[in-house]
Amino acid sequence: MSDTVTDAVPRSAEPLLLKMLALAFTVFIVGYILVPILVTIVMSFNDAAMIRFPINVWSAKWYADFFGSEQWTDALKNSILIALGTAAISTTAGVLCAWAFQRFHIPFRDGWYILIMMPLFMPGVVLGLGVAIAFGGLTIGDYAIYGSRELVMVAHSLWAMPLVFMLMEATFKTIDYRIVEASYDLGGGPVRTFFEVVLPMVSTGIVSSLLFAFVISLNEFVMALFLTDRDTQTLPVLMWLSLRSAGTPRLAVASVILALTVFACLTIIMLWYVRQLRKVAR
Amino acid sequence: MTAQPALELRNTLRRFGSVVAVNNVSLSVGKGEFVTLLGPSGSGKTSTLRLIGGFEELDGGSILLNGQRIDHLPAYQRDTATIFQSGALFPHKTVAENVAFGLRMRKVPKDEMAKRISQSLETVRLKGYEDRYPAQLSGGQKQRVALARSLAVRPAILLFDEPLSALDLSLRLQLRAEIKRLHDELKFSAIYVTHDQGEAMAMSSRVAVMNTGSIEQIDTPETVFHAPSSEFVYTFIGESCCLPVRITASGVQDKKGETIGIVLGERLAEGDCRIYVRPSRLRLISDAAALPNRLTARIHFIEFLGDVYRYHLKAGALELAADHAGSIGKSVGDVIVIGWRTEDMRVFR
Amino acid sequence: MSATADIDDAAYTARRAAHARRKAMAPWLLMLPALIIVLIFFGIPTLYMVRMSFNLHIDQRLYVPGLTFEHYVNLFSNPLFTTAILTTIKLALIASLATVFIGYCFALLVWLKPARWRLLFIGLALAPLLISEIAIIFGWWMFFPKNGLLSYALIASGLVTNKVSLMYTEFAAFVGLVYVTLPYCFFILLSIFDGIDKRLLEASADLGATPFKSFREVMLPLTWTGILVAFSQSFIWTMGTYATPSALGPDTLWTMGFLIQEQMLGKHNWPMASALAVVLVIGVTGVMVVTRSMQSERNNFHV
Repeated sequence: MSDTVTDAVPRSAEPLLLKMLALAFTVFIVGYILVPILVTIVMSFNDAAMIRFPINVWSAKWYADFFGSEQWTDALKNSILIALGTAAISTTAGVLCAWAFQRFHIPFRDGWYILIMMPLFMPGVVLGLGVAIAFGGLTIGDYAIYGSRELVMVAHSLWAMPLVFMLMEATFKTIDYRIVEASYDLGGGPVRTFFEVVLPMVSTGIVSSLLFAFVISLNEFVMALFLTDRDTQTLPVLMWLSLRSAGTPRLAVASVILALTVFACLTIIMLWYVRQLRKVAR
Repeated sequence: MTAQPALELRNTLRRFGSVVAVNNVSLSVGKGEFVTLLGPSGSGKTSTLRLIGGFEELDGGSILLNGQRIDHLPAYQRDTATIFQSGALFPHKTVAENVAFGLRMRKVPKDEMAKRISQSLETVRLKGYEDRYPAQLSGGQKQRVALARSLAVRPAILLFDEPLSALDLSLRLQLRAEIKRLHDELKFSAIYVTHDQGEAMAMSSRVAVMNTGSIEQIDTPETVFHAPSSEFVYTFIGESCCLPVRITASGVQDKKGETIGIVLGERLAEGDCRIYVRPSRLRLISDAAALPNRLTARIHFIEFLGDVYRYHLKAGALELAADHAGSIGKSVGDVIVIGWRTEDMRVFR
Repeated sequence: MSATADIDDAAYTARRAAHARRKAMAPWLLMLPALIIVLIFFGIPTLYMVRMSFNLHIDQRLYVPGLTFEHYVNLFSNPLFTTAILTTIKLALIASLATVFIGYCFALLVWLKPARWRLLFIGLALAPLLISEIAIIFGWWMFFPKNGLLSYALIASGLVTNKVSLMYTEFAAFVGLVYVTLPYCFFILLSIFDGIDKRLLEASADLGATPFKSFREVMLPLTWTGILVAFSQSFIWTMGTYATPSALGPDTLWTMGFLIQEQMLGKHNWPMASALAVVLVIGVTGVMVVTRSMQSERNNFHV
């Protein structure tokens, strides 16, 4: 530790100044992040029909209103269905693709990598526009593709799948390949090895992927705006459309419900994760 | 000997681009034999093992297991079982489930499976650990489970891929003895890969010393140690001192051309050669006087190795080391005479 | 020696070849779902969009097949569009700079603080990511207007006497944009910081550098790549956004994203929308390429 020379020099005021700046910044950042969240939660319990402060009467009436409205609950249902679909599609595609990259030699590997990651860097407007133009009016038999939930699931997967791929690629790199070889050595074929040995080893990665994909899809609304119609619209889309017209606490309630769905998933995952750890630690 | 060998390698070849990892290796392992592939890293011993297991593709030659060709089969269709360096246990399965895996793949009926699992675990002395997970086991225990897992399957041959390298010394010695005991008891056929000479000598029926993709010598451990067939084997097994000299009509010179004060019992042909002696075979001062080969050298420095003192000596450009139990009362800078018997020296050109 | 082993060498090579063929197919089968998604639902629409941008747009029909450059010409000559492009770039630039700055300070704070605070702050930074953009917009929508929280808080604390509205201002749009991209910047930078040994700072201080000097000479060079990545990330995202600026900003704040949406859903002019999208994508790709090349020059700094 430095002693002699610096002791003779008077202490500069810089450390104290820095400490105060740090404190001020902390207050700022905490406030900045919490403002919209707290405002929304508070407003959702407003009894009045107008969005204005101060709040004079508190009630949960708008929650009842939300769950009583078919339009809004349908939107929530659509959101969850689409999110589940996106999670399933993108996780499956991403995991299989990441395993292919890990296990096999692929010609022009870098090119394919860029291709798969590309949609992630495209703005939602562009992706939504492209899919809407290309598939608008397309029908399979009687089923209209445009406006269907399935199309939205795939569109959302355009963002979710590359993320899953990236995450799983990193995860697969950490597994001890000798364990996979041990499975082959003992007689496990490629398919059995994949399902019985590889997947359990990366279960945390898979669950995280499912969660990411679900949250991304649940919250997304730009692409959904382009691709849904009145029957299949998701909750964020409905919220956006209602922004200018129905500025009631119902929107605040919708925000809260949406966030709670996400937190519910998070909690389930956390509990599962803790259970996993406990099983091995014994 | 007409008994069918458990394993036969015929002219096996494995290339990585321009590098030949396994260069025309032929080998046969009889039933119940324990053959060790010994060599430095890059010698091809691990590649050879992996070719047998099916983890790498054969570029030439053939592999036969119990008389049947297997080189066209993928790893999961070969009747081999490998014990890996890190154990490679399935982390999410219990010990019992790990051992059961191979049995399930071979569709062994349930009751037979349960019997074999408990048998294997008892053999490696891990009875009672059935429900533990690998994360709860020590390094040595993990290796024993790996052993049980491979033994349970009763393969035509067991393949050991440097299983003890990752363990500390006392554990290594302990498990080494256990594997030997198991082999004596169960008489399985095995190929064992290691770079540790001690392991190779202690456990094997035969040792194959490998160098840059080929087998230099394959013999019983005693033969390899006492009668190495090539310079590589001589220098790889045990310790040795190398004296590169030039024999001329006027005397023996070192690489720099200086004449060395060396007396040789047998006349050597003229020309460059390398004389090898092992440090343990060199005698000092009074013990050296009566020996036919003698060399005068200066003590360069002295190492205390516990059992012996090792005297590092210099004679001209030659450097060598001689071991002696107990001190000889000489110090650094002193000139002494060392000697050795003619049968203890080897000359290579 | 068993004689049976040598016969049918051809059969063995044949079986090995068959196995090798099956193995070569495997990766493509595994990649198939991902490739379907990317090629059919991204590749085709992109090609479609590019093709569409050259189509004609006559009266009320969505598009008329043809080949024309009029939309691109219009894009670069019509002041409506050119101002939109410039506005988008300006907004993206300023928002990204602010985001990176705030994100850097935040990440630095969390990195230097002891472990028990870290989890709390990470949870905090995670929050905006878990909330939908529309919910964020709505949150600020209740904060800025005359009857919003900001106004109420200012009056209640006696700082002002009249109601204040910052709604529909560039500032509000700016605040919203930074809010949405901040978490990404924060996590990128934090992960870069975590790769730096804290003792480097200690060593710097030990050698007599003031905190500011340490920052400039030690932290900045080491984190430069991170700053670039965070900036480009933020810039690319804000270039393509339209919801936040259009909801929180003034009606004159037109971004390219907004125009695309308007041309597509409002004016039903598919070719024009496509042309805008193509230009946007080219811009975004350009930024990515530039930042990539700036990164590789600095790579020899890696500790």
